[in-house]
Amino acid sequence: MSSRKARTARTAGAVLGAVAVAAATVVVVASAPTAAAATTTFTPVADTYVDNGATSTNYGTTGQLGVDGSPVKRIFLRFTVSGVSAPVTGAKLRVHTDDVSGSNSPAGGTFRALSSTSWSETGTTWANQPSIDGTTLGTLGAVSRNAWYEVNVGAVVTGNGTYSIAISSTNSDGADYDSRESGSATAPQLVVSTDSPTTTTPPTTTSQPSGDPVLVGAGDISNSGSGDTATAALLDNIPGTVYTTGDNVYNDGTASEFNSYYNPTWGRHKARTKPSPGNHDYNTSGASGYYNYFGAQAGPSGRGYYSYDLGNWHVVSLNSEISMSAGSAQEQWLRSDLAASGKSCTLAYWHKPRFTSGADHAPSTATGPLVQALYDYNAEVIVTGHNHHYERFAPMNPSGSADSSRGIRHFVAGMGGAGFYNFGTIQPNSEARNNNTFGVLKFTLHASSYDWEFVPQAGKTYNDKGTTACH
Amino acid sequence: MMTVRTRILIALAAAALLAGATVFYVSRTTAPSAQSSAQPPRMAAVVPPDGVDRRTLQVLTNGVLGWASATDPQSPRGLTTVKCDRAYTSARTVACLRPVDALVGTKLSLLDAEGNETKSVPLTGFPNRLKVSTSGRMVSWTVFLDGHSYATTGFSTQTGILDTKTDAVVHSLEEFSATVEGKPHQAVDFNYWGVTFTSDDNRFYATLGTGGKRYLVEGDLTARTVRTLTTNVECPSLSPDGTRIAYKSAVDGDPKKGWRLSVMDLSTLRSTPLGETRSVDDQSIWLDDATVAYALQRDDGVNDVWSVPANGSGQPKLVAEGANSPSLTH
Repeated sequence: MSSRKARTARTAGAVLGAVAVAAATVVVVASAPTAAAATTTFTPVADTYVDNGATSTNYGTTGQLGVDGSPVKRIFLRFTVSGVSAPVTGAKLRVHTDDVSGSNSPAGGTFRALSSTSWSETGTTWANQPSIDGTTLGTLGAVSRNAWYEVNVGAVVTGNGTYSIAISSTNSDGADYDSRESGSATAPQLVVSTDSPTTTTPPTTTSQPSGDPVLVGAGDISNSGSGDTATAALLDNIPGTVYTTGDNVYNDGTASEFNSYYNPTWGRHKARTKPSPGNHDYNTSGASGYYNYFGAQAGPSGRGYYSYDLGNWHVVSLNSEISMSAGSAQEQWLRSDLAASGKSCTLAYWHKPRFTSGADHAPSTATGPLVQALYDYNAEVIVTGHNHHYERFAPMNPSGSADSSRGIRHFVAGMGGAGFYNFGTIQPNSEARNNNTFGVLKFTLHASSYDWEFVPQAGKTYNDKGTTACH
Repeated sequence: MMTVRTRILIALAAAALLAGATVFYVSRTTAPSAQSSAQPPRMAAVVPPDGVDRRTLQVLTNGVLGWASATDPQSPRGLTTVKCDRAYTSARTVACLRPVDALVGTKLSLLDAEGNETKSVPLTGFPNRLKVSTSGRMVSWTVFLDGHSYATTGFSTQTGILDTKTDAVVHSLEEFSATVEGKPHQAVDFNYWGVTFTSDDNRFYATLGTGGKRYLVEGDLTARTVRTLTTNVECPSLSPDGTRIAYKSAVDGDPKKGWRLSVMDLSTLRSTPLGETRSVDDQSIWLDDATVAYALQRDDGVNDVWSVPANGSGQPKLVAEGANSPSLTH
């Protein structure tokens, strides 16, 4: 059902007509260009509650959401708003009380925003609950059984993004709402109103109008399979410099593997490629197959680390297959190279990841001195591979803590063509992951910021993109 | 309206609770008492709080040890603060492969009811598989090794066994004498993974990868021998009645194409593909003689525990969302 006009603001706590709301459970797309306004309804991507009477219990998969003052129960909801292209004029959170005895309450709870969007639906307990640190959005008075209630959350929901909202109460007679597991008809809803028709924008791969340099590539690339063919086809349509994050060929880095696997695919772009070596390249003694194939483009032969500039960026290709320890030739070279750089933004890449949630290869602590040097010189981005999938982390300091001021954003771009690996325990600050789509990771290097974009193989839709400013 | 005094009291109470929750939270309201060895371990007693009588799974929720119902996917969960990359419990032996630390490798930890480590075996590698024999006596594990990559498989493993009764440790099954296709054989590309013990705590089954094949082997711990039975069997898991194994079978014999969860009758070596058609990369468990459970990973690395009938019929059923590494608590 298409809503032609945003519902006029109601007093918080007003009971809505159940019929009108039930009809708006799916995404509403107003396709008519004449429509003056439109609404889009989102269901939670996560919802749970915590209970101080059972501090280590998680309720994320249950059908109810309890809020109470004694024992203290708090509800956590998270919504991801996406595909909204017009200015947002309002947002309302709707919750529905359970159709069971006792779900009613003299106090429906106080709704507040919180900054954490990383809390886990199945891992959040009273003992590890996120801090409710945001603005107060509204308070519900008495709530009845089996009814809808609405709170204006327009103060925080202002466009596309991920939003967390908590409900708490000090009244010892608690309320119970339906969770997203109760079924779509009574699950919580976030209704976003926009000025003009809301359209869902499909992920698009756009050509680069800015004229700023493009750096595009991946690691773990060529074997007898067809994954490298799919990713090389993406490069055909993306101009710029091509990087590799190692394991250019499988299994042994031989000349024959470079000629028969890599050369017909990624080899089409060899003239604009700045590679880095991986452990499989080093399965041939001294990685001679790698150095012979790439020649001077791989930096000084046998050394495997070098740097170059692109626009306002300094780019460093490093070698995780030789010593990286503090005081090693490579680490000393890196520090002097960074000290001599006149560029304000820096990106580095190599094979083995310092941070990864992969199940096959543990985080490589041996790369730590390189990460430390890059952090000391205020670098922006580190790209690696080794685990055969895609992962993006938030900017972090060298010990892996979130660091929004000086942190380096780490990517694992091991989706160049070799068969996918599983993820293990998802590590802190991991923001995006995928292991079913080959692709390339493209950077557009602006004067004082960068865009990243995961470009998927033809026929796949996984996408991840964003922009971050240089330090 | 909450008074300032109430706020402070609540804050203090919350802080006290948080401070007290360093390890296993045990559902008790009385003051902690010294735990004598005569008391049953408390961990198995920590069940979801609604008191429904049912079987409970020990699971990991993104690396955090806890419990979920084996029968009701919407039931509340219990979570501890213990971190494992893989966990398994049987007959009150709780085994945990600890996450690799920045300074030290993983280790096998056996935990008591409070989550305290009672035994440990330091390991080199990256946690992959872990199983405890039905009696609780034998603990077996597999870790991935980095650094030596053999061309035939592209990965290297190390599989070991701890006898919790004698504390004897087999550090690597590669120490055992192997008979491959009827002939004594040993090779540098040997990799073992995924052990499952029989009820005598001596005979076991496992996978041996060598020469591009993945064999089902039957082993004898006392004799320190293994022999191959058939091929294309990985991560066997013995049924409670001891007559079948659930395992992962590479599609068309090629692990690059993924794995079909299957059950093999050990008396005939005949195999039945199960009603789960998505690729399962796990050492599955048996919920009972008719049901197999396993973790399946989503594209974004989040896992869920599913179950499917062991006779090839039916459809997969969601058991525990957002969880992996399941095992039944007894």
